[in-house]
Amino acid sequence: MSDSEKKSLKAAVVGLGKMGLLHACILNVLPNVKLVALCDKGFMIRRISEKLFRNVRIVNALDDLDGLDLDLVYVTTPIPSHFSIVKAIYSEGLVPNVFVEKTLAHNYEGAKELCMLAQESGGVNMVGYMKRFSVTFRKAKNLLDKEALGRVVSFSAYAYSSDFSETKNNSKISVSRGGVLGDLGSHLVDLALWYFGDFRVKLARLSSLDDMGSDDFALFYVDASDGMEGQFEVTWCKKGYRMPEFGLVVYGTKGTMKINDDEVELELKDGKSVKWYRHDLDDNVGFLLGAPEFFREDDYLVKSVLKSVDAKPNFLMASRVDWVIEQVRNKAGKNA
Amino acid sequence: MPEKESMAILVGDNPFHGISHLSQDRSRARGSEINNVDYASHLVMTAMENGANGFMFSVSDTTLSILKAIRRKSAIRDFGLYAIVPYAYEYVRLATQLGGISGLAKRVAKKVITSFDVKAMAIGLKGIAWTDLASLLKTYVLYEISRIRSATGKQAFLDSVLLHEIITEMALSLNLDWFFKSYIEFMPKLGIRPGFETRNFAYLVEKFKEWNIDFSQITIASPFNKIGFQMNPSRIKCEEALSGVTGSKVIAMSILAAGYLRPYEAMDYVLALPNLNGVVLGVSKEHHARETFKLLKSRFE
Repeated sequence: MSDSEKKSLKAAVVGLGKMGLLHACILNVLPNVKLVALCDKGFMIRRISEKLFRNVRIVNALDDLDGLDLDLVYVTTPIPSHFSIVKAIYSEGLVPNVFVEKTLAHNYEGAKELCMLAQESGGVNMVGYMKRFSVTFRKAKNLLDKEALGRVVSFSAYAYSSDFSETKNNSKISVSRGGVLGDLGSHLVDLALWYFGDFRVKLARLSSLDDMGSDDFALFYVDASDGMEGQFEVTWCKKGYRMPEFGLVVYGTKGTMKINDDEVELELKDGKSVKWYRHDLDDNVGFLLGAPEFFREDDYLVKSVLKSVDAKPNFLMASRVDWVIEQVRNKAGKNA
Repeated sequence: MPEKESMAILVGDNPFHGISHLSQDRSRARGSEINNVDYASHLVMTAMENGANGFMFSVSDTTLSILKAIRRKSAIRDFGLYAIVPYAYEYVRLATQLGGISGLAKRVAKKVITSFDVKAMAIGLKGIAWTDLASLLKTYVLYEISRIRSATGKQAFLDSVLLHEIITEMALSLNLDWFFKSYIEFMPKLGIRPGFETRNFAYLVEKFKEWNIDFSQITIASPFNKIGFQMNPSRIKCEEALSGVTGSKVIAMSILAAGYLRPYEAMDYVLALPNLNGVVLGVSKEHHARETFKLLKSRFE
């Protein structure tokens, strides 16, 4: 059966942390997916997974996925391992269709190489920038595409959480999550690239909670060829942010738009003002686990693979995020 | 609607945890008063004095402190307790800080062991030895119940212990019928009704029917509101599922859609639903506690 004729997909998940479990559960309820294998290095995680997942092969190495005739693999391991795992998947021809949790790679060089390998494979590839599947951020994209704000002049973007607001040493964990830039900042950079297109980093500052060099706070400024300017502030040490919060304020020639996970507010210079909450934007999904965005993301990818059409954000788009992050680190004098 | 004596009118704890499903800005704007245990316990008691007959809470240090404060005021026997475990936010945050699920598992195991609950530990050892997840769940639930009992004393009426939505949804997605059945069988032995919180009500009902689960033995808490907020996959599907569930204790959450709806219009909708046995509502101001629960009581009588 050719890809274009496929009615259902055989999928595997590599890496059974929070995100791996979440995607595995969602894949298990999607009607056109059969979850056939899970891969994790942890002995206890594998033992528990054997009890939780029926008729699913649980393995501890990528090689063991060979011969399963997979259609799709999710890579949900810590960021530093993305490059080697995805490279192995493509090099060994395990499967052409690959999803990677953000960020695509640990650096831009690695991201570029993965883009090339993905292109050679001819399959569908996607990176887990799930904010694109949030109803509020989608609404904002729709408004920007319709030029509701006129020409965008500038924006300011923030990503805050309280994850490490009460700890003083988190270097090891920070590195596995790609620092605050890779963890929270990457979502914000992806949104900005999606909304405004390419930009370059002008000035950047990174700081750490301890002296181990992890990124815990980032402030950077960007500009684009059309003169648009932007500012990013990212930290996971901010008190009062029980859940991570992402937001942008966009200034255009016709007015201002405020966007975050909960609402979109448009204020035009002609006096017109509109506010949409999630409630107004049809936020229900077929199966809710974690947040509606995850279901939409997985459902969209599966449908894209079944139809053999490009899924977005693909590796190439996601590599631009890695490029911006690298520029921030370079400008701040802290290259990885 | 069911007979009025069976209607549960519950105070929810979301505001005490800084949760607003409308917007995080709104929860931050509530100010610090809501984080004060004495103030929070006063709000719960005010709601009780004005029509509420129960408190639904996630088991956390915050809510246990509130329960202790209510106990000190000798009011703990006056209402039913509906506990939700685990307090997922705390565990997700711990997993983040401890570097993942394995770090979290070690921390929880240490907490259970240091709780010195012999019954829980005995079941837990079996669970660890055989990676028996049903035993591990029982151990964990016993541990949480011991935390509640130590805050409330033995005279409090713990009506239901509900599994948090993240556990319910994961188990549903993996078709773990044995997990649900094991929990439902275990809890009545403790004199407590087993319950499940879900934001996939229609899916849960469909699965439970497929697995021949007796709805009359369980409590289900799920969103029901006029605009279908968090009613997955749709308001209509959830309403249809509700109409097909008789004998269960279904408690409507998010009836105001996190403050998006006005109480009167929200209650009109809920009152028209069949097979609903309760509502839960969080309040952050004293006058809200007074007026809202007075209104709820009058509308449901």
